[in-house]
Amino acid sequence: MDSSDNASVGVAYQIPRNALALLMVAQVVVVAPYVLQLSPWIITVGLFCGYWRTRVYQGRWDYPRRWVKAGLVIASVVGVIVSGVGAFSLETASSLLILAFALKLVEMKSRRDAFLVIFLSYFIIATQFLFDQSILIAFYELAAIIVVTAALVGLNQLHSIVRPVVTLKIAATLVFQAIPFTIVLFLFFPRIAPLWTVPLPSGATSGISDRVTPGDIARLTQSDELAFRVVFDGEVPALRDLYWRGIVYSQFEAGTWSIAPDLRRRGEATFEPIGDARTYDYEVLLEPTLRNWLFAINAAFTTNDPTIRRTRNHTLEVADPVMSVFRYKVRSYPDMLLDPLLREGFRARETHLFGEDNPRVREFAASLYQASGSEDAYIAAVLSHIRTQPYRYTLSPPTLASVNSIDEFWFTTRAGFCTHYAGAFVYMMRAAGIPARMVGGYQGGEINPISNHLMVRQYDAHAWAEVWSQDRGWQRVDPTAAVAPDRIELGLSAALSVADRATLSVFSNARMGAWGFLTGVLQWSDSLEHRWNLWVVGYDSNFQAGLLKKWLGEITPTRIGIAMFVGGGVSLSVVAGLLFWRRRPVKQHPVERIFSTFAAKLSRYGYQRRPEESPAAYVRRVADEAGLSEAQVGGVIAELDTLLYNPAIAWGSTELRALRNQLRRLQFRLAFGS
Amino acid sequence: MAELGPSIRDDPFIGSRFGQWLDRRIPPNSEITLSQRNIFIFPTRTGFVFGGLLILLILGAINYQASLVYGVAFLLGSLFLVTILHTFRNLSDLRLELVGSRPGFVGEDVEFTIRVLRPPGRSREGIQLGWPDAIQQWAELVDQAADTVRLYVRAQQRGYLNPGRLLVETYFPLGLLRAWTWVDLNARALVYPRPVFQDFPQSVQGRRDEGELIDPFGSDDFNDIKTYRPGDPVKHIIWRSYARSDELMIKQYSSFVEPRLWLDLDVVSGDLEEKISRLTGLALKASRLEREFGLRLGGVNIIPGLGEVHLEQILRELALHGLQR
Repeated sequence: MDSSDNASVGVAYQIPRNALALLMVAQVVVVAPYVLQLSPWIITVGLFCGYWRTRVYQGRWDYPRRWVKAGLVIASVVGVIVSGVGAFSLETASSLLILAFALKLVEMKSRRDAFLVIFLSYFIIATQFLFDQSILIAFYELAAIIVVTAALVGLNQLHSIVRPVVTLKIAATLVFQAIPFTIVLFLFFPRIAPLWTVPLPSGATSGISDRVTPGDIARLTQSDELAFRVVFDGEVPALRDLYWRGIVYSQFEAGTWSIAPDLRRRGEATFEPIGDARTYDYEVLLEPTLRNWLFAINAAFTTNDPTIRRTRNHTLEVADPVMSVFRYKVRSYPDMLLDPLLREGFRARETHLFGEDNPRVREFAASLYQASGSEDAYIAAVLSHIRTQPYRYTLSPPTLASVNSIDEFWFTTRAGFCTHYAGAFVYMMRAAGIPARMVGGYQGGEINPISNHLMVRQYDAHAWAEVWSQDRGWQRVDPTAAVAPDRIELGLSAALSVADRATLSVFSNARMGAWGFLTGVLQWSDSLEHRWNLWVVGYDSNFQAGLLKKWLGEITPTRIGIAMFVGGGVSLSVVAGLLFWRRRPVKQHPVERIFSTFAAKLSRYGYQRRPEESPAAYVRRVADEAGLSEAQVGGVIAELDTLLYNPAIAWGSTELRALRNQLRRLQFRLAFGS
Repeated sequence: MAELGPSIRDDPFIGSRFGQWLDRRIPPNSEITLSQRNIFIFPTRTGFVFGGLLILLILGAINYQASLVYGVAFLLGSLFLVTILHTFRNLSDLRLELVGSRPGFVGEDVEFTIRVLRPPGRSREGIQLGWPDAIQQWAELVDQAADTVRLYVRAQQRGYLNPGRLLVETYFPLGLLRAWTWVDLNARALVYPRPVFQDFPQSVQGRRDEGELIDPFGSDDFNDIKTYRPGDPVKHIIWRSYARSDELMIKQYSSFVEPRLWLDLDVVSGDLEEKISRLTGLALKASRLEREFGLRLGGVNIIPGLGEVHLEQILRELALHGLQR
């Protein structure tokens, strides 16, 4: 350390080498998980800065000069702006955070710098949870917190102490001792609604989109990422009945389906129960979508959350975009009559066709409708057309032009997946003047036999049609079932061709039951993850309220305060007990213990044992003073010496009892002077 | 400097209400065992920054509704609470003993030796001891149950130095909290006057019969008559005798100095403190030249002698002259 800059930093303010070494490790540990979220160059800059600091630590390189630092800062900011084009997102924010962290690391010299780097590390660890809250990441970050805390401990150790493993142990002890109180806080600390809007992750999540252009997709990517998990209160309904509605596409223009402008002014959605209403009660744990819409079985009503509203299209929407696992309880009435009366604005919207496009389909529809006679017969005829003509279900359909795409699909390519069929069907309905719309969501799911919850994955994404009729309101029609009935009955895997299956990942195949053992492992890990979501990630204000009501009877600030106080008191007392409990003196040799009791009794007769006296020496002295002969005490002395100092002698309770008797006899002699 | 009390370094507590309270709470004693009675604990500035970080994390958790961000915030918060116990425990049950002190001169550092002992069991780390404004030392009780720490305090004036209350503090393990105490170990060290070196004064001459010739060409005492040799001082030539005998004779004078040096305020110049400094310098010089020296100072009369003990005795008298003992 010879640079002039360093000389100004007094010894007391320098970073101990132990802490520096741990900080080097910590920065790699902290930055590594961002590989999944941030552009590689940011990770590279981060690791390079860490490498640079390591070289400085080794004394090979020098700290960056001022102009180099300035250059790095400017280059980083420009880099982030250039690569993060568009809105200021969570990725932009965390990129800047990590770059700031990396650059601070390189120029870190004083203890104060080190404190700053450590606090930034904690912040970066927490930020990772905005992207991923899985159990794996949680445990990883717990380890990361221990490493960062170890660096903090190192900062407060003597410079000459370089024992990173010991320091890590100290940090781990601290963190583990903090866990009980963490749990208390986690359970009782009030969860409140967001205070202001925050930059969202830029949202490359695979999920249902608000615009669908079937013709553009040459290959539907099938992600096995989880969309949501569902816990049913009773029996899980049959897979074919599980249509998870999310979004309603009422507008079709130039080959693209999209959400129609809101018509909320025209009155609320209406519904009428039919007969003795069947119900499904369930709770959905939705993975982050960054969207407001929720998924539920028609007709869905939430039971526990005021921030969720029912839309005019009978879908559910939450006030803020879903950024973390979001749980909501739903009661669905599958037999409900929806919109017995379709208001005029809606009728116009749901029968609207764009311009003069797809003339052949329109013509085909008109003639088929006339031939059918009734709406029901027409719907049946369209489905039968799909079923009987050589239509094909595939994930890799030919692309379509944006103009007259439905004509092309219906008459020429005849190959596609759910949105092709649902879109064409809705178009046919509208061409005949029947109100119809496309619905996007998920269909089916997979039951985890271990915790008996339903998992719905991205490859379960589906689109179907809804048709309105005078007496039955909105009815679901799934044209995909006409071309690939297995898709609905048994799930995606059954409907896929060998070629389609080959495009899926190993995991997707395994999830679909292709690999026995791996399938089991995946199910087990999923059920673990599910419980994690149920109890930790999905621990929100509603769940908290339910739990606290059960435990405390009634939720009042006083009761919560008392609960926190008691819980905190207990958990901290445990730690205090561990820290301050004085260990009892080293466990005595049993012979020594027996002898001390004996010596304590003898002291009553005035024979005080001196601290330095061995048992044998003590007995000998006492015998001397009392005038006992060698013969009278020799046996005891020999016995004591053997039991205490001869390692070859194994003694058990018999020997100990014999010794106790001998000593008692000796005591008797001394007491009565015989 | 007419009134010189026992010198007390600028103790921040002397006379203050807090100081009086401290004296009641942690009475001075050369052995002190630390306990909740005398340990204070409070977050450091870093600790407050850490608190700010927690608030930021909780705001983030609220706005993103992310349970695990809450989790991190709560874990760090609990870590802080647990650290209170750890930091406190790091000082608690520590025993401090004043082993001794080594005297020094004004302007130098006086050494105090303090022994820090921990009860058997857990190790203690990062314990810092020091008087205000002096350099702190670390005591490490990791592999050993006791550590001896030497502390140095700059001596400002002669007499007894009472360094005041000793600060014992620790930031271990996380630096977020500081546990500290101010103990008064009754530490006291003797500070000798700052030595000012000078030649042995002329006036310290002894009588001829007991003195020792130190300057054969001194001009004080007539000694002998000798034949002139070139180089002899011209003013010593006995011109009358030259007139008679044609031979140049000179009177030889010489100085006799008592070999036993008497240190006395009268033999040096300056005000009292300067005189004492000069006497100190003379004492040290005499001791180094192995010349016997004694002290006459006020009512004190130390007959000339030599040796470490003698020197210490004289330096002690010089240090304490005119002060309350």
